[in-house]
Amino acid sequence: MADSDDIKERARRALDRPSVFGDDLDLSEYRVEETEERRLDVKELTDEDRMLLEEVGFDVGQRSVAGSFMQFDNESVLADVMIKQEGLEVLPTRRALEKYDWLEDYLWRAVPVDADKYTALSELHGYDGYFIRAEEGAKIEMPVQTCLVIKKGRSIQNVHNIVIAEQGAELHIVTGCATPSHVERALHLGISEFYVKRDARLTFTMVHKWNEAVDVRPRTGVMVDTNGVYVSSYAILSPVKSLQTYPKVHLVGRNARADLYTVVYGTGTSKYDVGGLLSLEARGTRGKVISRTIATDQSQIIARGELQGRVNGVRARLECNGLLLSDSAGIRAVPILDASAEGVELSHEATVGKVGADQLNYLMSRGLTEDEATSLIVRGFMHLKAPDLPPRLQKAIDDAVRMTLEKGL
Amino acid sequence: MSTPEPLMQIMGLRVEVRGVPILRGVDMEFERGKVYAVLGPNASGKSTLAKTVMGLPEYEVKGGDILFEGDSILDKSITERARMGIAYAFQTPPTIPGVTLEEFICRICPEYLCRTSEDYLMAEQCTCRKELYDDFDRLGIGNLAGRDLNDGFSGGEMKRSELFQVLSMRPKIMFLDEPDSGLDYDSLKIVGRELRAIREEKSTTMVVISHHRYILEFLEVDKVYILQNGRVVYTGDMSVIPELEEKGYERFLAETAATT
Repeated sequence: MADSDDIKERARRALDRPSVFGDDLDLSEYRVEETEERRLDVKELTDEDRMLLEEVGFDVGQRSVAGSFMQFDNESVLADVMIKQEGLEVLPTRRALEKYDWLEDYLWRAVPVDADKYTALSELHGYDGYFIRAEEGAKIEMPVQTCLVIKKGRSIQNVHNIVIAEQGAELHIVTGCATPSHVERALHLGISEFYVKRDARLTFTMVHKWNEAVDVRPRTGVMVDTNGVYVSSYAILSPVKSLQTYPKVHLVGRNARADLYTVVYGTGTSKYDVGGLLSLEARGTRGKVISRTIATDQSQIIARGELQGRVNGVRARLECNGLLLSDSAGIRAVPILDASAEGVELSHEATVGKVGADQLNYLMSRGLTEDEATSLIVRGFMHLKAPDLPPRLQKAIDDAVRMTLEKGL
Repeated sequence: MSTPEPLMQIMGLRVEVRGVPILRGVDMEFERGKVYAVLGPNASGKSTLAKTVMGLPEYEVKGGDILFEGDSILDKSITERARMGIAYAFQTPPTIPGVTLEEFICRICPEYLCRTSEDYLMAEQCTCRKELYDDFDRLGIGNLAGRDLNDGFSGGEMKRSELFQVLSMRPKIMFLDEPDSGLDYDSLKIVGRELRAIREEKSTTMVVISHHRYILEFLEVDKVYILQNGRVVYTGDMSVIPELEEKGYERFLAETAATT
């Protein structure tokens, strides 16, 4: 394991390294504030905060969650196991690093610290974020909820999250990121490293609500061990200045599985560069990378997906489907299949187009107006069913989609 | 005694698809509560007729008129025609991903009341589940309820689903485009029984496009039109069917050839 000096040095060397994808941001335009931990009772939240949290599905009353974590800018305000749940731990990352020496071994293992200037900056400035761990064999049935909020303009929210589902554990995380509409220019840097151990299951559901002034650069790496299952569902349904994310999932143990679902509803002049990479590195591994993107107004979406088959006997599928609802919008689907062993089975389907005239005519012949027919087609298009997702979390995504379409169409 | 005004009159209808003439002056009349068969060889214009009546934009009317309850509908949109009581069961309907048959029926059919809700398109759950499922079972499509509309439906399932939709809309006139093709005997019986019940109610005019004798005899068709090369070449009763079965459209082809 590299020591911390070595990590810092690697980070320093990468400080000017642009990301492979997405607009290259000038980081000097943002203020980097040091992190501090401050405990705050939920009762102290303002009405505006509560509304914002609820919009991304955060249960402020914490009635049906196993644990909660909330961070405003760089201050973590709430991190606790609210309901007695044996085998679950939720802590701010910095506190967890102080508590557990061994946690250093999980830092920058799934995400390289020198991947680009964003990972480098994250390491070189103080970060917080959440540490969530389900102990060996613990079945945490109710979800753990997290929320990351940016309230200060011209700032960088620097978050480093570590999630560990130990052997045989089951863990569901639902996370909402949000920014009030009045915040001017901000950057969210979110490093997330997830470890799904042997026979463990982790679902990670994200509903995000940024605003037109926020740039978002999450960097996510996932390691899935033998028979482990990782399911990610990511919905971004609000405008953003720019979002570039490309989570990399490494299926390193035999028969490990991962499914990545992405739903993007592009509005305004937002730029989205989304997708995911699935690296199948052990026999019997399999997975899916599925995206549904809708571009309205002048939004521009790049939907990437990459499957890498490295050993014999692996199977994966890639689907990138895009729907254009405006002549000024754009969608580019970039599917990549990369096999370097015999017996690798990779497939893909990519479609980009407008609402089909035959579909519209059909629905209108049943008495729907053109607008109603379009709404129904769009809603159906965005309905992504993740079979392994608990119904409550599927509903969180369905509700977010429904609310978006009610406003947008 | 005066003759009742036809529900729909098609007068000298000429239609082109992408510049190619398909209907070349068609005249037909459909009375309320009666059953009509439109027959003809492949590519004679049968489906074009139905799709033109429904107002599908690809079908460009170049001449003539379509009157519904006495008024021209040529300037009406597809939606307006559907809401006036005109329905068309598609031969090969498109797939609508992410919208289940159950959800769709609940949102389009006045009979199931969901449409009365202001936000019916977004409603999470319909209010008529029980009635809907009873009706699904009657048509033998309960297994399709939770599936995406027309996605992977077999030929027979598609026909029954289409029939279910148009019947649920309670139209004044419906055009059924080969409702019996691809059906096994059991499915044929189910479809026949449903259509027969509608016939007996006499509330809906049925125009059945078909190539098969069974369904037409079962429905006791009131009038037969035969289309050939975009023109009506026969108007009469079911007595023409045995000849068609024996000799095909030979005679009509010869007659058309002689007149063109």
